[in-house]
Amino acid sequence: MNAHTSIEIQTLDEEPSPETYPAFVELRDVYKSYGANLVVMNAMTLDMRADDRLVIIGPSGSGKSSLLRCMMGLEGIQGGEIRFQGRRYIQGGPGYAPTGIDRALQRQIGMVFQHYTLFPHLSVLANLILAPVKVGGMSRQEATERARAYLVRLGLESKLLAYPSQLSGGQKQRVAIARALMLEPKLMLFDEVTSALDPEMVIEVQNVMLQLAEQKMAMIIVTHDMHFARDIATRVVFCANGSIVEQGPPGRLFRQPKEARTREFLEKVLHLD
Amino acid sequence: MNYHFDFSFLDGKVGALLGGLKITLELTLVSNLLGLTFGFLLCLTTLNRRAIVRWPARMFIEFFRCTPALLQIVWFFYCIPMMFDFFIGPIALGIIALGLNLTAFNAEAYRAGVQAVPKEHLDACVALGLRPWQRTFYVVLPQALRSATPILMTNGIGALQQSALVAVVAVGDLMYVGNRLATDAYRPLETYTLIAVIYFALSVPVAQLVRLIERKQDFATER
Amino acid sequence: MSVNFAIVFPYWRVLLGGLMLTVAFTLGCAIAGSIGGFVLSLLRISTNRWIKSAAAFYVEIFRGTPLLIQLFWMFFCLPVLFRISIPPALSVLLSLTMYMIAITSETFRGALKSIASEQHDACIALGLTPRVKVLYVIFPQGLLRAAPPLLSNVVSLFKESALISSVGIADLMLVGQNISTNTARPVEFLSAVGAIYFLVAFPLTRLVGVVETRMLRRYTY
Repeated sequence: MNAHTSIEIQTLDEEPSPETYPAFVELRDVYKSYGANLVVMNAMTLDMRADDRLVIIGPSGSGKSSLLRCMMGLEGIQGGEIRFQGRRYIQGGPGYAPTGIDRALQRQIGMVFQHYTLFPHLSVLANLILAPVKVGGMSRQEATERARAYLVRLGLESKLLAYPSQLSGGQKQRVAIARALMLEPKLMLFDEVTSALDPEMVIEVQNVMLQLAEQKMAMIIVTHDMHFARDIATRVVFCANGSIVEQGPPGRLFRQPKEARTREFLEKVLHLD
Repeated sequence: MNYHFDFSFLDGKVGALLGGLKITLELTLVSNLLGLTFGFLLCLTTLNRRAIVRWPARMFIEFFRCTPALLQIVWFFYCIPMMFDFFIGPIALGIIALGLNLTAFNAEAYRAGVQAVPKEHLDACVALGLRPWQRTFYVVLPQALRSATPILMTNGIGALQQSALVAVVAVGDLMYVGNRLATDAYRPLETYTLIAVIYFALSVPVAQLVRLIERKQDFATER
Repeated sequence: MSVNFAIVFPYWRVLLGGLMLTVAFTLGCAIAGSIGGFVLSLLRISTNRWIKSAAAFYVEIFRGTPLLIQLFWMFFCLPVLFRISIPPALSVLLSLTMYMIAITSETFRGALKSIASEQHDACIALGLTPRVKVLYVIFPQGLLRAAPPLLSNVVSLFKESALISSVGIADLMLVGQNISTNTARPVEFLSAVGAIYFLVAFPLTRLVGVVETRMLRRYTY
């Protein structure tokens, strides 16, 4: 039962055939470790289409957040390669800082985090227009108009000049999403954006994400909320211990998981449905 | 800047320097002992439920924290003999003045440590049925002491630096001896540099220890 | 022994003069020291190993030696070292400022460290250039977070400034000591001096607390 507002998005019940996979995001044997003992991404290989919405689930320490962070270029990978829109994006290399990143590609990815995302010393408006104006070269006026338009769509127009400390958790996250969207990214990454919110506010943030899905935005989402995963994902990816154990359309994966590991995990987290 | 450093005048004066150092260490260590114990007791007083017990303690702390240490020392040395008829040796007087000052600062450090214990732990104690004294002894105190330790140690080295102030009231500590040597031999550069180096050599190991402890604590309390 | 505080009042003008001097030195060195401290804190997070160590060493020296010795050193040794005569006020200003620089650099360093790492991540996610990031995100937040402890440092300097009396600067401390020696009534005058220091330092300390809780809560996490 879809608990969210009625939004029509296409979810699939079967796996599309590989021939129809124009590469959008490709992870090839991506390897990431902290020192010799802690391997967080173990030769991960993953493909994504431009109209995919991947939801990554799995126990803690399975490499979910690392995947997103490396995708954003916040941390480096020690082995393998990440390609974006058919071009080389990130190379594996020694050291923890990301090396050899294509900055132009990086700028087309947006990310929203779990905590402390907004700049607390700036008003909502300033938060939204900082990057477009200072880096994107947009005029202040144009940026303000666009920011206002986003806030109107989110129903937060009255908060234009408020400070983050005056917003609720859900409002802050929605503003954070708008802030990322201001730069018109091709891919949006969401790292457990509702995990720290009160239940009433989780829904309003998820609705925004569903609206984005309706507009065909490509997304990679890490979440614990299985119901939401089922509503939004085109493909669910289950990770454990740094490896991708299983992936597939939500309908199939949740109902008939192929791997025992997946079944074990789902039994623990899924409530009776 | 071609100055010819000449430490030769120190021949035969090493004994005097060591004597001064001994007094400095005496002042520092004893005042630290006083400051650590009485600071703790004073802290408990400030956390007492009855306002009539809390207020004098708070006034004491605020007074010693909001006035210069030099003034406190000078006040002690000139006013106490006048006000009370008995005679306390200058070193003992210095220890008391420094000790009281340290007590006030340490009381604040202990208090910060106690207040840093998350409220959830106190709630958990109630939920587990622990009695108030058990809660204090087994949960609050260990954690409070652990967070207060770096500050207490920093205050301790601060006491070492402040002990130099007693030279102003002619107590024969390291600073005083250095002063005498510098003026007697007309060699302020060598003497004061040497004195500074000695104080530095005493402080740095403790400061490094504090940093080590802080780093270990950050690691332990992470996530 | 009888204590009569009324004898203090005729001397109010002299005491005020001493207080003015104390405040002047405090403010002057506080401002210069804060600016210098900020610069030093930037040096401490430099990528150059030598700069970073030199800056750290500077802080260690000024925090690991008594302020009294620093004052004496500047006062007596600097003229000898450079073969010039330095006016007492200047050497005191220099000494207090250098001390303040060391103290405030730690304050700024702590403030910069306290900015949540997620802020740095957000800057990367938004594609902000390092210049924009430092200018619009890090620097303003660092300044905000440093304000209460910085004010605290200034109050500390106000108290430590009493040491300049030991090199003959006619601040509040020296004035009080002189009068109490001349009138042979240390209890009244030294207590009065203590009260004056207290009446300045205590409200300011309280102000720090208020600034921290009221104002800052609006602009920081």
